Amino acid sequence: MSASDKHTTHFGYQDVPVEEKASRVAHVFHSVAARYDLMNDLMSMGIHRLWKRLAIERSSVRPGQSVLDIAGGTGDLTARFSRMVGPRGRVVLADINESMLRVGRDKLLDNGLAGNVDYVQANAECLPFPDNTFDCITIAFGLRNVTDKDAALRSMTRVLKPGGRLLVLEFSTPDNPLFSRVYDEYSFRLLPKIGELVANDADSYRYLAESIRMHPDQETLKAMMEDAGLERVEYTNLTGGVVALHRGIKL
Amino acid sequence: MALSPTLLLAGLERTLNALIARDPGAPSRLARLAGHRLLFRLEQPALALAIHYHPTGLDLLRPDDTAEEGFDAVVELDAETLGELIGGASVERLMFQGKLAVRGRTHLLESTRDLLLDLDLDWEAELARWLGDIPANSLAEGLRSLSRWGLRTRQEFCADVSEYVFEEARLLPGRHQLEAMRDQLTDMEIATDRLEARLARLRRRLTEPETPS
Repeated sequence: MSASDKHTTHFGYQDVPVEEKASRVAHVFHSVAARYDLMNDLMSMGIHRLWKRLAIERSSVRPGQSVLDIAGGTGDLTARFSRMVGPRGRVVLADINESMLRVGRDKLLDNGLAGNVDYVQANAECLPFPDNTFDCITIAFGLRNVTDKDAALRSMTRVLKPGGRLLVLEFSTPDNPLFSRVYDEYSFRLLPKIGELVANDADSYRYLAESIRMHPDQETLKAMMEDAGLERVEYTNLTGGVVALHRGIKL
Repeated sequence: MALSPTLLLAGLERTLNALIARDPGAPSRLARLAGHRLLFRLEQPALALAIHYHPTGLDLLRPDDTAEEGFDAVVELDAETLGELIGGASVERLMFQGKLAVRGRTHLLESTRDLLLDLDLDWEAELARWLGDIPANSLAEGLRSLSRWGLRTRQEFCADVSEYVFEEARLLPGRHQLEAMRDQLTDMEIATDRLEARLARLRRRLTEPETPS
C-alpha cells in the first residue's frame, strides 16, 4: 500500500477498503473476546503482565486524577488505575468493540471495582470528550488496529490536559536480527496453531501476527506522536523490542 | 533487561498481598492505610519504591516521577538503616540519630512496619479451607507433634554424640582434662624459662675468667 493511496488500508497483509477495516477488526475481536485474557497469557507466556506493569509505573498517576484507558479491552490497566486514582479520581475504560467492553466491565465488577470507573464505547479517532479532560491516556495494544492512526493520536492529544501524558504500549520491531527470525517463526507458525487449538480461530491470530508486522516501528511512531503535537516523546524497548512503550507529554 | 526489576517487584507484591490476605488482623490495619501513598528512597544504591495501599492489599511501584507532593509520606534511608528498621529499632531513635528522614505523615511508616512485620498467618485456617476442618486439624496436630519430636530428637542426638566422643571413644578431651593439661603446660613453660635463664647465667660465668680481671 502506498501512503498516498487513501482508498485502501492494510488489514494484516491484505489491502482492504478504508471503511471496511473497522468492521473487520471488530469481527476479529468479537470472536476472541471470550478467551482474550487466556490467549494473552498463552501467547506472551505471561510477559504481557509485566509490559502493562511497566506502563502503569511510567504513567505516574496520582490519587484524584482522571485517566482514559483506550482500547482497554478486558480492563487490566483500568483495574490498577482505579485503585491508584482512588475515590476522588476517575477512570474511563473506552473500547470500540462492544464484546470486549462487556467482558471488561463484567471482570471489573466481579473484582469489586466500581464507583470511579466509567465505560464508554468510542472510536479512538474521534473521542467523545471535551478538550483538556484527562491527566493520563493509555492505549495498550490498540493503536495498530485503528484505521487512521494519525487522527487517533491527534484526538488523544486534544482530550489530554496540558501537562498530561500519553502512553502507547504496542508491538514493535525487534532490534536483533537473530531474535527477529525466532520471533517471526513463533508468530507465524506457532501463534495461529495456539489460536486454533485454544480459541478455535486461527485466522484472527494470523491477523494479529500480520498486523504487528504492519505497525510502524519505534522511530516512526515517535515521529507520528510528535506530529500529533506531543512533546518530549521517548520510548523504551521491552523484551528486545517485541513491544515498545512510547510516552509523550502535551505541553 | 528493563523487565527484571519489574518481575521482582511483581513477585514481591504478589507474595506480600497473599500473606496479608491470610492474616486475620490485617484488614483493619489496611483499612486505616488504604488510599495512602508512601515513597521509600534508598540512598545507596539509589532506589525509589512507592507503596500504594488499597483496601485489599498494596501495590509496589518503581515511581517514574518522584515529586514529593504526590505522596503522603516520604522516607529517606540507607540500606543499613533499613536493616535496623526491619530489625525492630524504634523509628524515633533512628530519626534522632539522623539516619532516617521522614517527611509527611510519619505514622504511616510505623503502620507499614506493623502491617508487614506483625503478620500472624493463620495457616491452619488456610489448610482447613483446602481440606476441611477435621483433616486440617489432625494434620496440624501431626505437624506440631512432628516438630516437637524433631526438637527432642535433635537434643538427644547432640547429648549422645558428645557422650560418645568424650567418655567412650575418648577421641576428644573433656573440659577438665583440657584445663589440667593447660596448667601443666604453663608450669612446664615457666620451668623451661627458668632453666634457660640459669644456663645463660652459667655461660656468662664461664666466659668471665677469660676476660682480664
